[in-house]
Amino acid sequence: MKRGGLQGYIIKRLIYAALIAFGVVTITFILLRLGPTSPADKYLANMSARTQDPAQVVAAVEARYGLDKPLYQQYGNYLINLARGDWGWSFSTSMPVIKLIQTHWVYSFQLILLSMLFAASLGLLIGVCSAIKQYTRIDYLATFFSFIGISIPNFWLGIMLILVFSVQLGWFKTYYDTGLPMFSLANLKALILPVITLGTGMMAGYTRYARSATLDNMGKDFVRTARAKGLPERVVIGKHVFRNAILPIITIIMFSLSGIVFGGAYLTEIIFGIPGLGRISFNAIFASDYPVVVTITLIGTLVVLLTNLATDIVYTWLDPRIRYD
Amino acid sequence: MHHNILEIKQLKTYFFTRSGVVKAVDSVNFGIRRGESLCLVGESGCGKTATALSILRLIDSPPGKIIDGEIRYHDEDLLRCSGKRLRQIRGHGIAMIFQDPQSSLNPVFTVGDQIAEQIRMHLKLKRRPTMERTLHLMEQVGIPRARERMKDYPHQFSGGMRQRIMIAAALSCGPEILIADEPTTALDTTIKEQILDIFRDLKQQREMSILFITHDLGTVAGIADRIVVMYGGRIAEVGTVYDIFDQPKHPYTHGLIDCLPDISARSDRLTSIPGMIPSLIDPPDGCIFSPRCPRSMMVCRQKRPKEVIVSKEHLVACHLYS
Repeated sequence: MKRGGLQGYIIKRLIYAALIAFGVVTITFILLRLGPTSPADKYLANMSARTQDPAQVVAAVEARYGLDKPLYQQYGNYLINLARGDWGWSFSTSMPVIKLIQTHWVYSFQLILLSMLFAASLGLLIGVCSAIKQYTRIDYLATFFSFIGISIPNFWLGIMLILVFSVQLGWFKTYYDTGLPMFSLANLKALILPVITLGTGMMAGYTRYARSATLDNMGKDFVRTARAKGLPERVVIGKHVFRNAILPIITIIMFSLSGIVFGGAYLTEIIFGIPGLGRISFNAIFASDYPVVVTITLIGTLVVLLTNLATDIVYTWLDPRIRYD
Repeated sequence: MHHNILEIKQLKTYFFTRSGVVKAVDSVNFGIRRGESLCLVGESGCGKTATALSILRLIDSPPGKIIDGEIRYHDEDLLRCSGKRLRQIRGHGIAMIFQDPQSSLNPVFTVGDQIAEQIRMHLKLKRRPTMERTLHLMEQVGIPRARERMKDYPHQFSGGMRQRIMIAAALSCGPEILIADEPTTALDTTIKEQILDIFRDLKQQREMSILFITHDLGTVAGIADRIVVMYGGRIAEVGTVYDIFDQPKHPYTHGLIDCLPDISARSDRLTSIPGMIPSLIDPPDGCIFSPRCPRSMMVCRQKRPKEVIVSKEHLVACHLYS
């Protein structure tokens, strides 16, 4: 197959991605600075410098971080610094934003990655089984539980899981233990409840889509051809049906990524006290620590945009009919 | 007596739908002989495809179900053999191709792979010989530059070429019987002739039986040894191509032949059989063709006609001859 147009397509998409990221940064920046509180107010509270004239302290702090300049100038400076690789200074934690992100990104990353693996593998498995056994008890059970899974808000699920498995049964800690080594069984165990919390809703959704995509393809003529060839059902479903059914499911999974990065992961991290980017961002919002919020929002945006682009590229391998030119 | 390698006896395939039971195949009997090409002819919805799919138990279930009958292939009844045995026969002893080559090929696998998969499966050949065989088959059905085109996907082929791929796949394990369900219906007239040529060549080169299903009597004349005419899920008439075209007995067969456009007659209108195809949910008592039959008698509406032997090869199910 010709892949000549792919390179041009990638470049085009990267330009779009840059424009979208720019838009997201601009909107986030302006919205945050439109709020009535200045980061300096919080700074002031933190410093407990009440002996001095508060107004003077605020003015001093604002001058130090350029907060006294007009908004467009602050914005321009922020962009220039961003381009230079300087992601700003976190007022509330008194360290460079980049440093903050370096220490915390991995907690979000492991949570999101494991949740997606959990949701995608189980969702696909249950969905396909459900479709093969359409209108049997297995199918009804899967359908029933997937609707429950879709309907349960994950913050409620997280709290209930803690209540039952941590408080009542005592199987897990009520809090995520940051002291554990990253690649250890103990860490994996500590992530079980958070992964279930974040993954259940996704898994239920994927189950529904996997079921319907599998059913769609099971009725196709090429499935009859495959059976007429004498292929065993394992190959008919596992090869001919699955390979076609997986295409829309991948789109759905990628589509749900933004909801996970910007919604589910934030809540899950907060419930379980996981010090990931979501929690950092959450704290930063309350502290009006806008460089942190803008930067984390930007990172999330880039992750979503680049994953989508990666999916589109993977598609050219999965579906030979797709060509970008 | 000729030896039938496939014998269909009292086959009944029903579809259980919301509006009732559709008797798509209702007590059908016929046999296929070694090396012959047998054409199954009838209007849309007369049960031709349901009959063909029943042979390899490919009826979608639900809603379809083979209720009764026997499909004897050598010494086995295909309706009662194990799933494993059935899969050994599918594609190997009896292969099948379908009407629409576009949807019958899987869009995400290369055509080479779709031909090769049953070679690997049935003949247990290694990679290299499988590839050679695939290549040879593609050349045999007339695909130019076969070696390169093996790696192409179905959407990169034209309709006629796709049907050639389907044929190559069906022939890959040297089946005794090839069931072709309206293989030329979805194709242009010129392409159709090319595909029919492949079938004619196949018949000459191989000792293979072909069950050719079509609604087009014009196609039949050029390819059939014998013809089975179906109407409303039942058999109307069976005979050699000469019996059917020169001495049709059943009024329905007459009607079909009269419908063939005759260029010398220079008529402005095309002839058709008056009336509609009967509903197979609640078929009329007696002969199912009787409501449309120009020679219908009292008995036709009361009793289902039995098959009458007209001559050595010629059977008809009609009260006119009993």
